[in-house]
Amino acid sequence: MEDEIRFSHISMEFPGVLANDDISLSIRRGEVFALVGENGAGKSTLMNILYGINEPTAGELFVRGQKVTAFNPRAAIDRGIGMVHQHFMLVPSFTVAQNIVLGQEPRKAGALFDNRKAEQLTRQLVAEYGLEVDPTAEVRDISVGLQQRVEILKTLYRGAEILILDEPTAVLTPQETDELFEVIRSIVREKNMTVIIITHKLYEVMAISDRVGVMRAGKLIGVKNTAEVDEHILASMMVGRPVLFDHLDKIGEPGAVAIEVKDLFVADNRGLPAVRGASFAVRKGEVLGIAAIEGNGQSELLEAITGLRKIERGTVTVCGQNAVGKTPGEIRAMGVSHVPEDRLSTGVDKVASVADNLLTGRQREKRFNRFGFHQRRSTIDRYAQELYEKFDIRGAGIHIPVGSMSGGNMQKVVVAREFTFDSPALVISQPTRGVDIGAMEFFHTRIIERRNAGAAILLSSADLDEVFRLSDRIITLYEGRVTGEFRADAITKEEIGFYMTGARKEAEQ
Amino acid sequence: MKKQRFDYGYILTLLISLVVALLIGAGILALTGHNPLVAYRALLGGAFSNARHIGDMLEYAMVLCLCGLACDIGSRVGIFNVGGEGQLLLGAIFAAQIGVWLKALSPWLAIPAAALGAMIVGGFYAWIPGVLKVKLKVNEVITTIMLNTVAVFLCQFLAKGPWKNTNKNIVAGTGNLPGSFWLKKLVPGSNLSTAIIAAAVITFLVWYILQKTSKGYEMRLTGDNPRFAKYAGMKTERIVLITMVISGMMCGLVGMFRVYGAEHIYKSTVSNEYYFEGLMVAMIAQYAPLPTIVISLIFAILKIGAMGMETAAGVPKQLYLIIQTIVIFCMAAETGIRAAIARNRERRAAKQDVKARKEGGNEHA
Repeated sequence: MEDEIRFSHISMEFPGVLANDDISLSIRRGEVFALVGENGAGKSTLMNILYGINEPTAGELFVRGQKVTAFNPRAAIDRGIGMVHQHFMLVPSFTVAQNIVLGQEPRKAGALFDNRKAEQLTRQLVAEYGLEVDPTAEVRDISVGLQQRVEILKTLYRGAEILILDEPTAVLTPQETDELFEVIRSIVREKNMTVIIITHKLYEVMAISDRVGVMRAGKLIGVKNTAEVDEHILASMMVGRPVLFDHLDKIGEPGAVAIEVKDLFVADNRGLPAVRGASFAVRKGEVLGIAAIEGNGQSELLEAITGLRKIERGTVTVCGQNAVGKTPGEIRAMGVSHVPEDRLSTGVDKVASVADNLLTGRQREKRFNRFGFHQRRSTIDRYAQELYEKFDIRGAGIHIPVGSMSGGNMQKVVVAREFTFDSPALVISQPTRGVDIGAMEFFHTRIIERRNAGAAILLSSADLDEVFRLSDRIITLYEGRVTGEFRADAITKEEIGFYMTGARKEAEQ
Repeated sequence: MKKQRFDYGYILTLLISLVVALLIGAGILALTGHNPLVAYRALLGGAFSNARHIGDMLEYAMVLCLCGLACDIGSRVGIFNVGGEGQLLLGAIFAAQIGVWLKALSPWLAIPAAALGAMIVGGFYAWIPGVLKVKLKVNEVITTIMLNTVAVFLCQFLAKGPWKNTNKNIVAGTGNLPGSFWLKKLVPGSNLSTAIIAAAVITFLVWYILQKTSKGYEMRLTGDNPRFAKYAGMKTERIVLITMVISGMMCGLVGMFRVYGAEHIYKSTVSNEYYFEGLMVAMIAQYAPLPTIVISLIFAILKIGAMGMETAAGVPKQLYLIIQTIVIFCMAAETGIRAAIARNRERRAAKQDVKARKEGGNEHA
């Protein structure tokens, strides 16, 4: 097999960061190549070089044996390279056909847009590649999975022979993921295309790719035939040390109800209904996981429970007390700690020190104040140092600003602070987003520890594996409504996906 | 363990900007036919040559410092009080009128009453934009600027109308304060009175609360990231509102100090946009209390010195404005200059790193 793409000693440095460090890699025609690595490992940078967004600071790039000299997306498209970004670049009010031809529109009478021709061209593409989609539908009316298909068709329309997919499954349900993989297999098989898929989900690598390249800290650690490796080997290569996914021991029976939500309605930032009549209960000593595709009301739901968002209608009861219309401070006092979805904007004060961030919420406690107002800095520092060590936070000490730490360590600061309250109820959102695999294990262990100690935990995560691993029970949320409730050990990911896309479970028992 | 690192870079830029400003000022002096050395000597003389000048200089530094601190505490919770001038004027006129109303009473009652009145009026006048900001998210910069104008005309109306001095020669001004209400002068003939002792106490308190107490900690977090502070259970709206009111109270009190310590009557000269100069001091000090004190002193020396320079060397005192503007300009560029230096250094380091690796690799091959 000939080399379709060859990176030769490619380095890319941004001010202060060496994003790609002397990378040499060949990708063959007609293969599915997976590029894996943790956040910031340099995967996207390397692909942006291929797509012409970045020009490497050193090294050479060859496409079909020809050296690339012009680095811009237009030239890359001319070379037959197409890229589907994580965030789609579609015009919602245009039809599928209009989106596909955008930029190279068929014309009639010299200047006018030929809509019929566009639809006809789209039909041809659909038939040729077997990517079923209605050319006349408006993009805003079709599902995310179909939108992604439109993005792929767009690149094919422009003559792509090499397709780069950046985290393509992040927004998809398990079913849509399966369909996408089917599409990838068919275009590779029938059109002899080359597909490069950027991901950090290892089971997807195993499912779809022929070969896999692992990146870590800007370097290419290794390239393997997928058939010769397994997820554990890849995980160790990504992290740089063995990763053990220990079995998490869940002990004890659930106790009294700690968080009860009844018929809850919450609006989103635009004032549109986001949560529409959700009801559920979380008991002490259990983890209730929320499985939902992003944007189905889970963020607004958790913000409403913790007092950060106004409740339109319905009741929220925390440890027997009414939480509707209460401030976040009052709800904390009832016994709720909260690991928020977006740690940068909600979970920390970036410019304040690690010590100050660990103190937050306890700043009025007697032991930290002399005469009730004069801060005892030495006691505060000692307390912060204790948490710093206990939660294995790694950085340049407790006096640096939290904003200068990595995402994982910042999250450890948030978790250290929130878990130390020993609250009877915990609301946790995206505990491991942007966190490396090693730290992920740490957070999971801590969450189960709290569960076993009798805390009621409400967990929301975009990572379905995480929801399954941690939860005792799972509820699915679709367009703000609870569509089903399941015991985590009595349902599969595929079945859950069904309810995440709107199917309803009939009333229990 | 060091809690607060001393920022040498900041002090260096401040000194450089001052020197640059003085050099440019010297250039202007030379161009306009003055001897810069003579002029600057006259400037220093204007500020330090006799006790009266030093007294006036210290009084002006006190005004700048209190106004600057009022701005500092606002910025600490993320609110920008541009309305200090109005709060100061209203505080001054109410303090003066309270003195007129209570002239039969002992100064031990009247002076505290006037101080309290000035603080209440100034605080209330800051409470209005504060409440609009907290409850209705109305931008406080706009409301405070507008309220300044309202205050200026309200004071003019009161000073020319209902509260006008009975003396026909005074066109706009409140009644005279009884001599027993005048704060004792520390330097005879100057503006410096015992008010500076109160000002020193207030300055210390502001520094102490901001840097050393749990309240100050909550204020800082609220200013840095209000959403985080709210999430963590702080009553952020109350913190912002109370801080705004305190800022207004400080400005009102400055007005009272001006009337009882220096002017002994309310007239429009109690403040010549002094709050805005204090605000510039605060900006140059990057809203930190200690630099606010130091920069207040520097600017007071320049301003009072410039008046001496005008009489002694015949240089227009507006030179002071030029120097002040250049210092502000340089300080504003400070962050940019520093960032540029840091970026350059990083880029060079990264390049060398790549080169070193490549050379290392070649040797291997």
